[in-house]
Amino acid sequence: MSLSLSSAPSQRPSSRGLAIAVAGLLVASIGVQVVRDRGWQPYVPATPVLWFQSGNFLKRASLGFESLVADVYWIRAVVYYGSMRRVVDSQRDFTLLDPLLTFVTTLDPKFRVAYRFGAIFLTEAYPDGPGRPDLAIALLQRGIAANPAAWEYFHDIGFVYYWWLQDYKAAAGWFAKGAQLPDAPEWLQPLAATTLAQGGDRQSSRQLWRQLGDSDIEWLKSTAKHRLTQLDAMDMVDELNRAVQRFTLREGRAPRDFPEVIARERLRGWPLDSTGVPFEYDAATNRLDVGPKSALWPLPWPREPGRTTP
Amino acid sequence: MSAAIETEGLTKDFSVGFWRPRPYRALDHLTLDVAAGEVFGFLGPNGAGKSTTLKLLMQLLYPTSGEARILGRPAGDAAVRQRVGFLAENPYYYDHLTAEELLAYFARVFGFRGTDVGTRVARVLDEVGIGKERRLRLRRFSKGMTQRVGLAQALLNNPEVLFLDEPMSGLDPLGRRHVRDLILGLRAKGCTVFFSSHILSDAETLCSRVGVLVQGKLVASGPLSEILAFELKGWELVVGCGPQLHAELATFARTVTPLSDGHVLLHLAPDAEPDRVVGELTRRGAHIVSINPVRETLEDYFVQVVGATAGRDTRGAGA
Amino acid sequence: MRTIWIIAGAAFKESVRDRVPYTMVVFAVLMMAASYLISELTAGQDLKIIKDLGLAAMSVFGLVIAVFIGIGLVSKEVERKSVFGLLTKPVTRAQFILGKYLGLVTTLAVNLSVMTVAYYGVLFYMNGVATEAMRAGWPVPATDPRLLVAVVLIMGELAVVTAIALMFSTFSSPLLSAMLTLGLWVSGHFNSDLRQFEQVVDQPAVAWIARGLYYVLPNLAPFNVKAEVVYGMPVSASHVGFTLLYALIYIAALLVAAVAIFRRRDFK
Repeated sequence: MSLSLSSAPSQRPSSRGLAIAVAGLLVASIGVQVVRDRGWQPYVPATPVLWFQSGNFLKRASLGFESLVADVYWIRAVVYYGSMRRVVDSQRDFTLLDPLLTFVTTLDPKFRVAYRFGAIFLTEAYPDGPGRPDLAIALLQRGIAANPAAWEYFHDIGFVYYWWLQDYKAAAGWFAKGAQLPDAPEWLQPLAATTLAQGGDRQSSRQLWRQLGDSDIEWLKSTAKHRLTQLDAMDMVDELNRAVQRFTLREGRAPRDFPEVIARERLRGWPLDSTGVPFEYDAATNRLDVGPKSALWPLPWPREPGRTTP
Repeated sequence: MSAAIETEGLTKDFSVGFWRPRPYRALDHLTLDVAAGEVFGFLGPNGAGKSTTLKLLMQLLYPTSGEARILGRPAGDAAVRQRVGFLAENPYYYDHLTAEELLAYFARVFGFRGTDVGTRVARVLDEVGIGKERRLRLRRFSKGMTQRVGLAQALLNNPEVLFLDEPMSGLDPLGRRHVRDLILGLRAKGCTVFFSSHILSDAETLCSRVGVLVQGKLVASGPLSEILAFELKGWELVVGCGPQLHAELATFARTVTPLSDGHVLLHLAPDAEPDRVVGELTRRGAHIVSINPVRETLEDYFVQVVGATAGRDTRGAGA
Repeated sequence: MRTIWIIAGAAFKESVRDRVPYTMVVFAVLMMAASYLISELTAGQDLKIIKDLGLAAMSVFGLVIAVFIGIGLVSKEVERKSVFGLLTKPVTRAQFILGKYLGLVTTLAVNLSVMTVAYYGVLFYMNGVATEAMRAGWPVPATDPRLLVAVVLIMGELAVVTAIALMFSTFSSPLLSAMLTLGLWVSGHFNSDLRQFEQVVDQPAVAWIARGLYYVLPNLAPFNVKAEVVYGMPVSASHVGFTLLYALIYIAALLVAAVAIFRRRDFK
């Protein structure tokens, strides 16, 4: 490149030198960014302020690119949720999650994943999530309003009632409504029946989670697997607690510690859960539970067959 | 003395077509040179490649192969353009500026500073004949006026070499006379002028040498006197006479053509002695209006050469 | 060097005549009208809104000028063939590009300066009409000099956008250049999402691509410190310094690319 004027040949100049210069400058710019980013994070104000109070305004402002903007906000919602879970417990604040999900679904009312995952995020109990099943149900109901034939949303609302609110009658009702839709799978109707009859039953819980685990979304699959493992652990815990009860009946007193039970009931060594962590015995309540260090801790309820309260 | 302008094997191919681009050869191995102080006429029909040549010389285009040099420097040398002027065909300049502002801008680019800018701009505008219009925005200028502004900006730096692409286009006869006189004045000052045109009468008056470009190839170049055979082709006589003489006129001339104003145009053979014919006619009571020798014009030459080239090409294509 | 400044001066004058100053007038009027209207509403929050509005308007107006003049800087001249005028003078193609760039950047700088003066004028006014109690309630003073930091970074961002527009202008039509430049501006602001993306995504290949794009595409989010200065949060000098350095290097890369492209072109 010549800023000076003389001795340029009359052939077309080669760009190789300049191309190398451009590459070099880009590399330098990357270097500067790396150094700078060590000390900088995008600033999130303490009281988060959303510029758009209304999803509808944002929709109009998107000028035809609604689904793209919906994608961007969906990514933000996922990142927001994920990064909040990495933050120190006391500072976790999920207040923006519901507004973000509202934006996404207002912009793209057919955004299936946003409804389903959004509902899951919203129901996760604090500190893993905001613990707001009511918002999740509201979100899913909006999904139904926009997609009346989507059986999945009915199923998901039923699930929220079942798992988080333990309202088995309502859950069964939603499963039944979903079962009547044209595309509904065959197992939904029997599920409604089972839930009504034996709400809180581990079998129907297993069934629900197995269905969710069939999805091809990795996150959902691994969550379902985790829950199923927990349910298995709960079975084991129940059995071990029955052993404790037998001991108490026979000896007339509660065991002082668990090795006593192992010896008397002739168990095969200290019981481990499926992750290899030993169960723990609480002498105060005379009950066994999964060890706090285990990946399965804490176990979800219901803990016993037939129990309708934790 | 080294040439002011030289090209050697200068070739330019363009890719034509979007899906399967084929090369189109706009200029085919042009080799010519122009000595300092010459006025060189670069002639040819439309689309022959004249503008392409000029743009290659100013490095607005890059050659596919070959070389071009101006005042001994390669055509790409921006410094040599300090001594060169260029007028494009149908030029367009920033139309939000006035003529004065445009020229002042270019003058500063040439290196004029301070009050020299204003002085030089005024001089050049006077030279090309732009008066009080110089304060008007260029968007208000007619085609002829814009052409003059173009000439003005080409002369700002007192160039040693001047490139003009169709300098007469868009000018009325008065304007063309003006430009012609300007070029003659530049020739007198020793400036080398290279101009392209498809109007041949301009070349006849101005040029010491010409080159003829047809379909990208230089088919002839040299002094006009060599190219045109200056042999006589005949004489033209315009006479006025009474009707009784009309019948006899045929004995003197090859053709007799009555003109609209009552006079008669006679074509004489080259070997006819005009003095004798004039004497004869005058004796019989006719009066002579004018007498002119007929030589081969550049146009005749042109038609002949272009026709030959086209003929050669079609023959080649058919073979 | 002198030639570059001559060309820059011409580009500046051209944009001035292109009705650019009207945007400054519109801005000033907008600011004053907004401050009057908003001061009729609740006290306390209005200062923050005025500050936000002013900075946002500067950003948007500046962006509009940068894009819509930038895209035509070169392509307009080539299309109308007025480029022959300069390129047949003792001017190299590199000088042409750099001159045009400097001219437009100067226009933006002047524009932004005038808008900043109007902005502070309004803030002074608000400071003047506020009661002592209100002033005590503001977390940050009305005429906070730290707002200038945001303005400086806005200028940096606009300089980058101008270089992008200019680079596209060297080879593509104004319409395409506008879309590409605006597209890169939008992606430049969502760039920070790309960076956080990799923290949440499982597959390393996707994370790597996201990271690569984050670094190579123009990263405009760090220029946006409006939220910080309005809330009175500190913006470290090193952040400003590194960001401006990044702007300088990235602009240099874009201009070198523009010159490389422009140099190789044939002008029929």
